[in-house]
Amino acid sequence: MISLSLTRRVMMLGMVLALLLPAAAAMAEKKTDATISFVQKMGDSALTELTDKELNGAERQKRVRELLRKNFDVQTIGRFALGTHWRSATEAERKEYLTLFEDMIVRTYAQRFSEYSGQQFKVNNARVLNDRDTIVTSQVIQQGGPPIAIEWRVRNSGGQPKVIDVFIENVSMAITQRSDFDAVIQRGGGKVESLLVSLRGRKK
Amino acid sequence: MPQNRPFLLKTASKSIAMVMCAFLLAATTGCSSARSELQPNAVYDPLEPLNRGVFAFNNALDRALIEPVAKVYNFLTPDFFRAGVQNFMRNLRSPLIVANNVLQGDFKGAGVATARFVMNTVGGIGGLFDMAGANGLPYEPEDFGQTLAVWGFGEGFYLVLPVLGPSSLRDGAGLAVDTFADPVRLYAFNRDEKWIYYTRGAVEGLDNRARLVSAVRDMRRNSLDYYAAVRSAYTQKRRSLVRDINPDAPAKPQAVQYYDEGWE
Repeated sequence: MISLSLTRRVMMLGMVLALLLPAAAAMAEKKTDATISFVQKMGDSALTELTDKELNGAERQKRVRELLRKNFDVQTIGRFALGTHWRSATEAERKEYLTLFEDMIVRTYAQRFSEYSGQQFKVNNARVLNDRDTIVTSQVIQQGGPPIAIEWRVRNSGGQPKVIDVFIENVSMAITQRSDFDAVIQRGGGKVESLLVSLRGRKK
Repeated sequence: MPQNRPFLLKTASKSIAMVMCAFLLAATTGCSSARSELQPNAVYDPLEPLNRGVFAFNNALDRALIEPVAKVYNFLTPDFFRAGVQNFMRNLRSPLIVANNVLQGDFKGAGVATARFVMNTVGGIGGLFDMAGANGLPYEPEDFGQTLAVWGFGEGFYLVLPVLGPSSLRDGAGLAVDTFADPVRLYAFNRDEKWIYYTRGAVEGLDNRARLVSAVRDMRRNSLDYYAAVRSAYTQKRRSLVRDINPDAPAKPQAVQYYDEGWE
């Protein structure tokens, strides 16, 4: 009797799983589809809105900032880039750091986009990394050179997809940034202030 | 006395390989525990002051000579010419790539590299055209540094080589082994035509540097500590090569681990 009910239970479980699995797979697919279209849309609008050669510097920076805030979780990225120093930073330092960090990204990308011309952006596929993050793979196709592989780590934060890292040819921008910042702080005697000084200097 | 050369070469390469092995063993067993546990993806760099000195030298040399030459090369030559040079240089490396694939136990990779070599040498006019790449057999670089990594050797520590740039103890040792085993070098030295080898080295260096002109400019401009940014990027790139990470392939477990470091 016991063994029978056990068999039955296993069968029931099997049936339930069989019913659920395709649903789960479909849900995962829906999620990756949504993330793919999110990245494609972001890339397309970046290439149309930011690469216009007629734009002046201030206007391009303004557009980059809008696009950045809409599509990137700047706070999470900034926190990651500060690494273990986030914990030792004071509230005031964190606040100023995040502002300076965003300004730096805006300046960097405004300049990069001002130099772009004729590139095409193509999203290839997406895969779920864990319950929060999805990796979207894409390519920037340029004339007279091999395509550049770009991957986007997209986090679902509060129902909104937001990019938290970009990998260019397998090199993470967030990790590179963190090493860069860490080196500045180490050389400044472990003080977060030394990074702030360096970032403030960049603004000029 | 050209007949003495192979023998001398052999003993020299043997003793250098032995020294390298001893170095590697000491480094991988002794130093790995000293690595920073606080920052994931950190790079162990005990020689940092020395490395920074060599890096500054390389950087000055690059700005004064190598980068200007690379820019002129990019400006003067058409795209197809540079593609041909790259294809030819990569094709010359094929025997080494095959050998390293075999040493890594990657027989599929060895098969692909062999097929590439045959197809590109025969169909691609001595390697000028990448016929294999156009037919679904993409180029995948393998070197002895990666082989050592597959065998379980750690990076040891970060190392900046004069002129050659970022490396590590492991990759530097791997480079030495690849250099000694390089068929082009063996051929050139045995025939006493060293210029072939040096010309190849110069062209290969120019080809690589010319492709990096905008990436290097971007990094110089946008990093606060250029040395640290390059150190991180180089190490990440090498780790991705060791793990054979292909962005378009389904995620392997090691790839997930690779992505998932230090995020809260």
